[in-house]
Amino acid sequence: MDGAKTDSAENKNQTVSERPSESSFIDIFLAESGRLKRIIAGMGLGTFDAEDVLQNVSIKAAGKIEKCQDSAQAVRWLIKVTVNLCLMEHRRQKRFSSKTPEIVESQSQDKVLPKGTDEDAIEAEELEIVRETLRGLDSSLLGPVVLRYFCEINSKEVGEILNLNPSTVRSRLREGRMILAKRLLERGIER
Amino acid sequence: MEKMCEKIMELLVDYADGELPAGQANETAEHLQTCEHCRNTLKALQKSLSLAEAVWKEGLTEIEAIRIQPPVKAGKVHWARCAAIAAGILIVITSSIIWHPFTKPAEKEMTFAQIERNISAEGNAARLLAAADMLTKYPDAEPILRQQYRYIVETYPQTQAAANAKLKMK
Repeated sequence: MDGAKTDSAENKNQTVSERPSESSFIDIFLAESGRLKRIIAGMGLGTFDAEDVLQNVSIKAAGKIEKCQDSAQAVRWLIKVTVNLCLMEHRRQKRFSSKTPEIVESQSQDKVLPKGTDEDAIEAEELEIVRETLRGLDSSLLGPVVLRYFCEINSKEVGEILNLNPSTVRSRLREGRMILAKRLLERGIER
Repeated sequence: MEKMCEKIMELLVDYADGELPAGQANETAEHLQTCEHCRNTLKALQKSLSLAEAVWKEGLTEIEAIRIQPPVKAGKVHWARCAAIAAGILIVITSSIIWHPFTKPAEKEMTFAQIERNISAEGNAARLLAAADMLTKYPDAEPILRQQYRYIVETYPQTQAAANAKLKMK
């Protein structure tokens, strides 16, 4: 069972409320850049887009001249800005791929499966299914899924970051997870 | 799908995440022992999450290498410091204006050669004036006398003798 992925994640080092108080937003941005990069990677952005997003977030952080009294709130603000910028990019990429399905299809056909055992081939195929599903996932589901499972932020904090109540977060997590699982099952991959 | 399966499906993600209350978790576990369909779904949930993590980590390795140079922070304007600097500049400008006449460089001193030239001019002019004065005894020599005085005035204008010659011409 995925017990390790429980909300006990709040006890981990990455809890948002552990930053020293009275720091500037840019200091917090620098301290939290690892987590922000994780979010960006989770949203499926490439290196160049990731660089753009990080740059934009740093500019927004530098624009906030006042010192933040509540550093946890500042971290939440940074995560929110990052998620929003990523989702904008995600939606743009989805629009592009929906307009040019034949290009995407040909690209996936061009991909050569790695030579090796059947297990490796199945693993690669499964990875491709999940990658594709994540790419196509609705942004309302992708945000909570990435924050909860890749950034290990608990549902309550995910709700605070995305301005959603905890029950909405849980239902979106359920929906997102089920879509991923069903796509695997549809392809008949059950191991 | 059985009615029980539908109910379990709704709980399965929370069960996988370990977020179900004990009662519901036990109920789900019991159902999973007997239902292969729900067991497969649970496996797919777990498998898809681990694959998603692999996809995310794959992207992260590239993104982690990004080094962002944060923009220069727009600092707070320190009005007191700005005012102090402005006041300092004002004081420097004002004092330089006030002290300018006092600090004006002294007039250039005469060189030894100039003094010598002036003495020589004074001497020559005085000698010529004395010679001209000697002609005053002779009334016929007045045109020559005037010519002599004019010469002194024109040739040695800065001398005392030239000033005297000017008076005598009048």
